Amino acid sequence: MLSNLWGQIIDLTIIAIILRVTVPILLSALGGLISDLAGVVNIGLEGLMLISAFTSIAVGSVTNSWLVGVLAGVAATVLISLAMGFFSLKMKVDIIIAGFAVNIFGSGFTIFMLNTVFGLTGNYNPEHLNKIPVIRIPFIDDIPLLGNLLSGHNLMVWISLLAVLFSFVLIYRTPYGVHLRSVGEAPDAARSLGIHVERIQYSALAWSGLFAGLAGAYFSMGLTSMFVKDMTAGTGFLGLAVVLFGNRNPIGVLLGSLLFGLANAITTLVETAPGAHIPSQFIKMIPYLVTVLALVIFAIRQKRKNLALS
Amino acid sequence: MKRKSSFLLDLLGIASAAIVAVLIGFIIILLVSDQPLQAMKSLLVDPISNAFNFGTVLNKATPLIFTGLALSVVFRAGVFSMGAEGQLYVGAFFGAWVATFIPGLPAAIHIPLILIFAMLGGALYGAIPGLLKAYYNANEIVSTLMLNFVATLSVSYLLNNVFKDPASGGYARMPYIQPSAKLGKFMEALPTHSGIFIAIAAAVIIYLFLYKTKGGYELRLVGENPLFAEYGGINTKKVIVLSVMISGALAGIGGVVEVIGLHGALKDQFSVGLGFDGIIIALLARNHPIGVIAAAFFYAYLQVGAQTMQMNSDVSRELAVIIQVLLVLLVSAQAIFAYLKQRVHRRKRGEANAL
Amino acid sequence: MAVLLEMKDIHKVYPNGTKANQGVNLIIHEGEIHALVGENGAGKSTLMKILFGLEAPTAGEIIYKGEKIWFQGPKDAIKKGIGMVHQHFMLVPSLTVAENIVLGDEPRSGLFNLFRDRKKAISDTQKLIDEFGLKVEPEAKVETISVGQKQRVEILKVLHHGARLIILDEPTAVLTPQETDELFDSLKVLVKQGYTIIFITHKLREVMEISDRITVLRAGKSVGTLITKETNKEEISRLMVGRDVLLRVDKAKAKPKETVLAVENLVVNNNKGSTAVNKISFQIRAGEIFGIAGVEGNGQTELIEAITGLRKVRSGRIQYLNQDLVGKSVLEIRKMGIGHIPEDRQSRGACLTASIAENLILDRYRTKEFRTGPLLNAKQIREFSRQMIKAFDIRTESEDFPVGSLSGGNIQKVVIARELSKNPKLLIASQPTRGVDIGAIEFIHREIVKKRDEGTAVLLVSAELSEVMSLSDRIGVMYNGEMVAIIDNTEELTEQEIGQYMLGVKRQEREAAI
Repeated sequence: MLSNLWGQIIDLTIIAIILRVTVPILLSALGGLISDLAGVVNIGLEGLMLISAFTSIAVGSVTNSWLVGVLAGVAATVLISLAMGFFSLKMKVDIIIAGFAVNIFGSGFTIFMLNTVFGLTGNYNPEHLNKIPVIRIPFIDDIPLLGNLLSGHNLMVWISLLAVLFSFVLIYRTPYGVHLRSVGEAPDAARSLGIHVERIQYSALAWSGLFAGLAGAYFSMGLTSMFVKDMTAGTGFLGLAVVLFGNRNPIGVLLGSLLFGLANAITTLVETAPGAHIPSQFIKMIPYLVTVLALVIFAIRQKRKNLALS
Repeated sequence: MKRKSSFLLDLLGIASAAIVAVLIGFIIILLVSDQPLQAMKSLLVDPISNAFNFGTVLNKATPLIFTGLALSVVFRAGVFSMGAEGQLYVGAFFGAWVATFIPGLPAAIHIPLILIFAMLGGALYGAIPGLLKAYYNANEIVSTLMLNFVATLSVSYLLNNVFKDPASGGYARMPYIQPSAKLGKFMEALPTHSGIFIAIAAAVIIYLFLYKTKGGYELRLVGENPLFAEYGGINTKKVIVLSVMISGALAGIGGVVEVIGLHGALKDQFSVGLGFDGIIIALLARNHPIGVIAAAFFYAYLQVGAQTMQMNSDVSRELAVIIQVLLVLLVSAQAIFAYLKQRVHRRKRGEANAL
Repeated sequence: MAVLLEMKDIHKVYPNGTKANQGVNLIIHEGEIHALVGENGAGKSTLMKILFGLEAPTAGEIIYKGEKIWFQGPKDAIKKGIGMVHQHFMLVPSLTVAENIVLGDEPRSGLFNLFRDRKKAISDTQKLIDEFGLKVEPEAKVETISVGQKQRVEILKVLHHGARLIILDEPTAVLTPQETDELFDSLKVLVKQGYTIIFITHKLREVMEISDRITVLRAGKSVGTLITKETNKEEISRLMVGRDVLLRVDKAKAKPKETVLAVENLVVNNNKGSTAVNKISFQIRAGEIFGIAGVEGNGQTELIEAITGLRKVRSGRIQYLNQDLVGKSVLEIRKMGIGHIPEDRQSRGACLTASIAENLILDRYRTKEFRTGPLLNAKQIREFSRQMIKAFDIRTESEDFPVGSLSGGNIQKVVIARELSKNPKLLIASQPTRGVDIGAIEFIHREIVKKRDEGTAVLLVSAELSEVMSLSDRIGVMYNGEMVAIIDNTEELTEQEIGQYMLGVKRQEREAAI
């Protein structure tokens, strides 16, 4: 088992595995980040991803086009994020509660639709699904190490990396980004200058919906080719943890997501490798323990910083 | 505004929200079902149409009352702990161990012992995120969610590898509990075990704690204004940790009551999200312990109704989830309550001015 | 002078029924400095919020430069050339000075003008700084600059947006006398260049110094417009309150006894880790009021927090009776008979969502009088609360109402009732009358003096110089974390002299240890 793992590290196929697993964490974390910066942190990422996962595969299999499927999934999540905005900004539901409601809704609604539309319980496994394509770069593909590093990744991997760049530019180089940060930090100041606080918060939620939608579509049409109930398995919450660790900026989020992706990847590798004597439960626990550990270390570091000051 | 009329208005608001949510559920039924009337009847009427169903409602409400209380306590302290699910398992494990492996005790001693161990287990596990938050300001939402997984997986491991009853086959469980540990039916006609009484008693105790004791006063103040509490000399860190421990203890009892009342053994993954349901219950009850009883009952009623609806018609039982979500959103919409209060307040003032 | 602005018969009724403005009339001439005066709650801020578009009037009209206007929001007001500098700064801490100034109106560049032109923002800001002489560093993050500098940023912001009519809401609340002078100089420069200023304040001395005309508001109505040259402070205050206000507190001479509090070489850090209290020493005796003057932010907050146990002490001693308070918990310190009126009643002094009764028993619910075992004694609590409501004239219908339903002055009375009723040996009062109406101010001052006469040692910290000077028997001045002066005989002391200590211009020669 270990020799197999080492081989994968050496020829960089492990990079592909890590990236593959990191994509949904990264995308949902970016969505969480933008909404957090505007002061309306979206904790409903889990539910949103489920809704997109279901919608995109349902539409995608019917229209036989991955693109239409992804667009449908994203449209669904953006709409629901805006609805979240309505409930929290107009009806004054606490944003955390609204996010929590979206999570429960996402889980229940997708199971409901699985039953109502397809008559299935548990999973939907269409034949000949038109998946999100994998990108193979012709010449680079044949170069031994570089090929594994750059070629053969799913389109969504590239999209998520672009998303990091996009987020960075959006937040720090555009007026919108400045408005976003002011709305989250000092909404009264923003309002007094005629900045539409609510409009910005709605848009921030829409962005988070967009990213969650992409992540969800990837679950059912990239990572796998099916929809299983509750298939996101806590990824949305890992994304929220990453926002904290990434110090609320896109580069930090990228690094944090890679770290978690790494932890997840190791879990999968160790679990599926033959001759593994470690019980599956402990392996599954690794990402969660890592998160708690990282949270504690992070918090201790913060405390030491504060103690040094006083 | 007078406390009493404000309270009644809250009640009115929640009741109307419930009616609206159910009505929307009906609209969905009309849209998706070929037998809408049958579906609606099952959902609304079946739970009380016979003793078995009604008894099931009470059984389902029991753990919900416990987890609803658990979350109410911790929310009141201003701590967003979502760890009831994990604490439930840990408490259930401790309690189940006592229930299964300690023979020869009379029930009057065994059952309280089981409950105490369950409380201890849940409280100790709850202390972890509590201490992390109080002393390191670690985000409790993230830590408790992660710890849930750790707890469920750990208990699962123990059930599959250490304490497994060899006779249990594919679905791992501990050996069956001692007869002295069992919570039997309190009435021959209903399938309900006496856990429901323990649950109601717990709700009353928590109510007294929150509103009549010094500990409850401190807890509520820490939740409403921690700066004020600190200024008054209240040890806010201690209160935070204690609140999560109390929450864990309640979740722990909730878990073990399921074991000794319903299942008869600690089964792997026996909780289908009871901890998260507790969050919904607490929200619906607006963190009030007596409200938790009503909310849990309503929630359980809906679940049983949805189950019979799925059996007797073509509507999936997840419709209940949709109704619940709508209800949570409507109840949590502060704007509605504020608006209602203003209307009444203004009308009263108008009357006074007219005089 | 030409009439620039006319606000006619303005009414504003809030949804909860509060009538903030009832038929207010205001006329502003071009190029003048116009003072808008009134007690807290008189409606000045509301009127200006309406002018600036933050609120909509329930009735009435606004005529600006001859045309009737209706603002949907601040952006409309800004477009018309009206700018407002708020009392509580509206700045985004993590952004730079330049970013704050151009916020909402950022210069753009790049493809489709989607990106922000950071260089232009900085150069535009520098141009304004040079033109009006308001010195700040354009690329400094706002969270790092001083209060006076933050105010300058606010004014620059308003000028950047092209305001010709500038509204200043209580601008000198956080400034030293010297910084106030600098501000007034800037205002005079602006007026010379044709700008018009509306200046909201309740500080009559400043009104007399800087304004050309004055409009007085009382209880939501405009009660008079005066020409500054032709009036005096007494007339203004009479219009403001409807009676002659006691500008000096009536008190007998202090009869101090034994030393109650002795602070020795105290060093305390602030939240950022730097020294906030730098080797401070002073003493207070029973039966006297020791007032600490100083601009906010010079360590007074940290000093009080150290004494009351809310903040760790780095070194030094706090001797209370015969015990050292350093290292003791908040609870222990309270139990020793120290009362604390905190400077922030909204977050520290009271819990707005809890009932008046629950607020009143905060420091005595542990005593045997109010509980038996773990249970609270509801009857005793109710009786006590009713007693307090009566004794301290707290305007409410029931002790069960949430404290948040009370007015600012009444909330403070709840705090005072709680802290004074336990007959503390040491009373610490921090900004005790901030944001409180004149009637309540008098009441609170009288109660503090009463306690002093009963033998309590009082430590008063206030940014209101007149309050410190009129209440205190002895005065200390804090500047930059140090006690730069302790004046035992306050008879001949002038505000000008204290102001010099407050700004570090003057420093008392250190005498041998007291």
